[in-house]
Amino acid sequence: MAEEPVNEAAPVPVAVRRKSLSALPFLVALASLAVPGLGHAWLHRWGRALAFFVAVGGLALTGYIMRGQVFTTVSNDPFGRLGFLADACSGVFYVLARFLEATGPNLSRAAGDYGTRFLASAGIVNLIGMLDAYAIAGGRRG
Amino acid sequence: MHASALHLSHFPAMVIFALLVSIALAGIGRHTAAQRIKYAVWSFVLFLAIGIGLAWLMYPFSR
Repeated sequence: MAEEPVNEAAPVPVAVRRKSLSALPFLVALASLAVPGLGHAWLHRWGRALAFFVAVGGLALTGYIMRGQVFTTVSNDPFGRLGFLADACSGVFYVLARFLEATGPNLSRAAGDYGTRFLASAGIVNLIGMLDAYAIAGGRRG
Repeated sequence: MHASALHLSHFPAMVIFALLVSIALAGIGRHTAAQRIKYAVWSFVLFLAIGIGLAWLMYPFSR
């Protein structure tokens, strides 16, 4: 049996397209922000959904295991606040990292410092995914 | 609950980072599965090559 070719450039489903002038792009973006890949899954872009879930989840969890710093809303300096914004963009993985974090970061080793960057990168990658899902839902991207 | 810390050195950390970011970039950059895999591999190799190249460029200043 021949394998069905993967075509991610397929048009957005009719039911979804009808709502494209409504709040759909914002809802899709919100879904992507909350759970990496969920917005793409909503639009039936399964490959992209899996790619973003694996990439964001992998970066965030590796950062956590390396004992990187998970920034909170309480910070005295602008870099801490920027760090929080970057971390928080990884959605559910930020909540998971905060929940699992018990003993705090270990920045005395290079691994902990790298972990902080991994956590921030997870948020940035998810932000890119969110913008991509928003553009697809708005019909500006295939 | 706290998992035991993972103490990666510079190179394994770079490899994991390059792999995961390449997957994400390939996800948005191409349409078919074959194109994505090719793009991800190419991106991954470039990440490593440029990282190692920059490391060697900085080597004279490290001592």
